[in-house]
Amino acid sequence: MFSLYKKELQSFFFSPFAYVLTALFMLIFGFAFVNRIASMESSVLQFSFPDMFYNNFFYFIFIIPLLTMRSFADERRGGTEVQLLTSPLTVTQIVLAKFFAIVTVFLFMIALSLFFPIFVSFNGTVIWSSLICGYASFFLWGLVCIALGMLFSSMQSSPIIAAIIGEIVMEGFLFLDQFGATKMVQSYPKLNSVVTWFSMQRRFVFFAQGMFRLEDLVFFLSLTVLVLFWIVLHIEKRRWSHR
Amino acid sequence: MVEVKNLTKHYGHVTAVHDLSFEIRDNEILGFLGPNGAGKSTTMNIIAGYLPTSAGAVSVCGHDIKEDARAAKRCIGYLPEIPPLYPDMRVEEYLRYCAGIKGIRRGEVKKEVERVMKRLQLTDMRRRLIANLSKGYKQRVGLAQALIGDPKLLILDEPTVGLDPTQVSELRKFIKELGREHSVILSSHILGEISAVCDRVIIINKGELCAMDTIENLERRMAGGAVLSITVEGDQLDVSLVLTEIDGVEEVLDVDIIDDNTSVFKVQLSDENARQRIMSAMVENHFGVVEMSMDKPDLEKVFLDITGKKK
Repeated sequence: MFSLYKKELQSFFFSPFAYVLTALFMLIFGFAFVNRIASMESSVLQFSFPDMFYNNFFYFIFIIPLLTMRSFADERRGGTEVQLLTSPLTVTQIVLAKFFAIVTVFLFMIALSLFFPIFVSFNGTVIWSSLICGYASFFLWGLVCIALGMLFSSMQSSPIIAAIIGEIVMEGFLFLDQFGATKMVQSYPKLNSVVTWFSMQRRFVFFAQGMFRLEDLVFFLSLTVLVLFWIVLHIEKRRWSHR
Repeated sequence: MVEVKNLTKHYGHVTAVHDLSFEIRDNEILGFLGPNGAGKSTTMNIIAGYLPTSAGAVSVCGHDIKEDARAAKRCIGYLPEIPPLYPDMRVEEYLRYCAGIKGIRRGEVKKEVERVMKRLQLTDMRRRLIANLSKGYKQRVGLAQALIGDPKLLILDEPTVGLDPTQVSELRKFIKELGREHSVILSSHILGEISAVCDRVIIINKGELCAMDTIENLERRMAGGAVLSITVEGDQLDVSLVLTEIDGVEEVLDVDIIDDNTSVFKVQLSDENARQRIMSAMVENHFGVVEMSMDKPDLEKVFLDITGKKK
């Protein structure tokens, strides 16, 4: 399993892929950062990052599917899927190895973005509790997005289509945020409770206040595990209905 | 070594393989012959554990491919029709990765990769990107990947497709060598290849087993229906009439006119000893026999005959 993880990581870092995506990520983060600073009213640099994180989610939608699009689609297209599935590795091991490799790349991106709070801490005050919580929520949401992106990649043999489907679904999640806030939804309490359960913004508010709730942790982790399990099932299913 | 029992595979409403049973003995090269779309790749994919069966059972080295998949897969080296290569990896790096996913112990990976590279003469290519290799070398890397871990069973799905004639003959020689230490299943639609390399042949068509025997037996089986080709000087019609009346001659299959007075007759015999009778009949009727030869039935004919019957 480790060899597969290593191979996946190499395919990101021995090619321009991870670096170009990280550059894009940093650029987006940098723009948001500059805007924040420019719109500050007091002369003291007191920074709460979570808002910035939330704004970044929108762009995130474009980065994560690019990261995950090749994971299974490429194997299928190149005929290497046969080798993986005829190796002694189980499908679960294959999925986990690929998942962890992408998570590692994601962590690499997040780690680079630490540049901004560190920069601020030299020139002003960083609210560390909310920063840490912001990162935690960013990371957890990232896990869900990665799992989802991989799922669509496992359903496709074309990476581009996998990426586009991933983007559409993640847009859907963002839409739920705004949809949950509409008068129409709020007038139906039951519908409202379902919609807000999936609403990112609501969970994000807690993180922004520096509150790390077990409920949110369970939500993100269980959603990730559920989607990963779905990928395993999907690959197994495809072997049965293979044409 | 490998036992396939009543293997059946459906793709939706299409039956790709129907009730196939055979076994592969230790250190045997088994040829898997059939026209395109006969179910060769499907069967091989099932034995390798890539596709599940619809019915029936496959066991490799005593391990059921469904129940005990991990142990069974450890005994198998598989080279699919398209070699499973990553173009952006280097040869050695790729083989190390293969050793890793096949569960070779960390300390032995290096040794194993060296052994396989030496065996396939890839040592000079170790730093090359797979994308930059020629077709022949790619195939070699594919074969190297199957050999890693020294599996008892090798499954090679049309390994010589797209290679030049020298490479094909090299590869055949190599496969023959492999047959001394491994059991090999070799699929092909090229008959010459199978008869040059394999000990036994399975012929399948439309997912069904048509024949399973040694090459000699298959050829012998067809010997009763041998074809004699005879060049005779004389009127075509007269010669034909005389020929058909001889005991042991089934029919005159074909007449090839060379000039006004000379023709080549293809005669289907039901009895090989009819040759003498034909000869004497020709002499009695004052036809001059220029040439006479037996067309030995080769695997090609056996194959066409067997697969043709099923249609």
